[in-house]
Amino acid sequence: MSAAIIGVGQTGYRRSFPDKSSRELIWEAARLALEDANMDIDGIDMVISGVAPDALAGEASVERTAMLGFGKPFLRINTGGVTGSSAVFAGNTFVKAKRARAVLVVGLERMGQATSSQQVFNTIFDPVYEKDFPLTTITMAALRASMLMRLYGYNAMHWAQIASRSFRNAMKNPLAHIHKDISPEDVLNSPLLAWPIHRFEACPMSEGACAVVIAHKDMVGDRTPAWIQGAASITDSYAMGDRIHRPGATLVDLLSLQMAAQRAYKEAGVDRPREQIRAIELYSAFSSAEAMAYPALGLCAAQDGPRFVEAQFTDPSIPVFNPSGGPQGANPVSATAMVRIAEAALQVRDMAGARQVADVDRAVATGQGGATQFSTVCVLGKRQAA
Amino acid sequence: MDLVTIEGKWDFNYTYFAGESASRFFHELRENQRIMGTRCTKCEKLLVPARSYCDVCMAPTDEWAEVGPEGTLETFTIIATAFPGLPPPPIVMAYVTLDGADTALINLVHGLDVTDIEAAAQKLNTLPRVRVKFVDEPKGRITDFHFELI
Repeated sequence: MSAAIIGVGQTGYRRSFPDKSSRELIWEAARLALEDANMDIDGIDMVISGVAPDALAGEASVERTAMLGFGKPFLRINTGGVTGSSAVFAGNTFVKAKRARAVLVVGLERMGQATSSQQVFNTIFDPVYEKDFPLTTITMAALRASMLMRLYGYNAMHWAQIASRSFRNAMKNPLAHIHKDISPEDVLNSPLLAWPIHRFEACPMSEGACAVVIAHKDMVGDRTPAWIQGAASITDSYAMGDRIHRPGATLVDLLSLQMAAQRAYKEAGVDRPREQIRAIELYSAFSSAEAMAYPALGLCAAQDGPRFVEAQFTDPSIPVFNPSGGPQGANPVSATAMVRIAEAALQVRDMAGARQVADVDRAVATGQGGATQFSTVCVLGKRQAA
Repeated sequence: MDLVTIEGKWDFNYTYFAGESASRFFHELRENQRIMGTRCTKCEKLLVPARSYCDVCMAPTDEWAEVGPEGTLETFTIIATAFPGLPPPPIVMAYVTLDGADTALINLVHGLDVTDIEAAAQKLNTLPRVRVKFVDEPKGRITDFHFELI
């Protein structure tokens, strides 16, 4: 039983959209997705809204902004950073279970309305043991980046090269928030936020909306599908400190992403990922998150990571990472994991414009939420999985 | 036509309930200046800070045991930029495995010279031994102590 993404709509991403209300952002993305799918709302059996902390928008029960059509089942999903992919996976499950023939999934990030978003982010931590510390998305990434450098030999230049490549890719993506030619040297010369992370390595704060239409295979007809060949969502234990001594998979071995990849690859019939996947949209808000994903996705051994970073600039057989620019080009948090899937779908459908990678038969999109307590892997293909 | 903006402010007050295990953990900090863990009845790991159950095993904890006061630094960051609502930099924050514990605990590291951040980072990269240092008047909060390099 197969399902496919047959429509993608994106508002594009910016620091803020002062010209659009939250409902108008969703309307815009949903309208574009339906248009791309050549459908109207009457053909949609269910609407799923993916949106993370209400406090980022300053609107409680912010899912109310996603009321589209009427007389349909409705669901809100919130799993932090993977909210967007979880919402897509829920739609996929409903379609595969034959509870819906077509599902409209919308993801919204409205943090442009927040004037102190880092304070909001501090409220997502455990109030008992964690919130008194300067734990932020940046410091959480830094704690792992320093461990990766010590264990596997990454240096500041590796982080800078990864970030610069993403920024340069984003220049080809008109939907991206940041359009700047940032060199590795620019990254290294930008202010240090939290050792070893420099400002230009961190993703921007963006807002915007993304929507996809997921349909049962019988509805695909002459539409251009990105078949959902495999989709897996895996959790990890809550506390990062509990994973430091875990045998076989420490804090920097993304066990949840590795398990998600194994399941999704199995569903998709992928057994040689480095050869069978052409484009990978990574949820890598920081370079270190990208580095941790390489071994988890089966692309190289953990200790070969630094060499793999260097090789991707010279070896054309290595999959293309974040052709859209990834989260460094735009990071609309609640929607980011859906944007990864939307961009991978555009690649598979040959609809990615100037950022199109040649000969994409299969693309992969990842999601990472919280301190990687949630990981998702989605394999999309031109053909249905065997 | 001017686009309209409407001011908003969320200013809610909360009282967070720490629960039984964390309350006892905080009590030990305040009254006895010691750091306690709880042992999972299934995997038998000593989990620090103390908690009522092991989320991986979905099993309760039973035995309480003291850990530290010395331990080994596992990983760290040095915060170099000011963020709104957070304390001023530089701040050294690290995960430390206290002697006897099976998990690492996050807290701040005091007393390290960070005038040269790169040099300080290289020193922390050697995974030095650290000691728990309590504040003069513990209040029963996770901030009652910090780490110092031995």
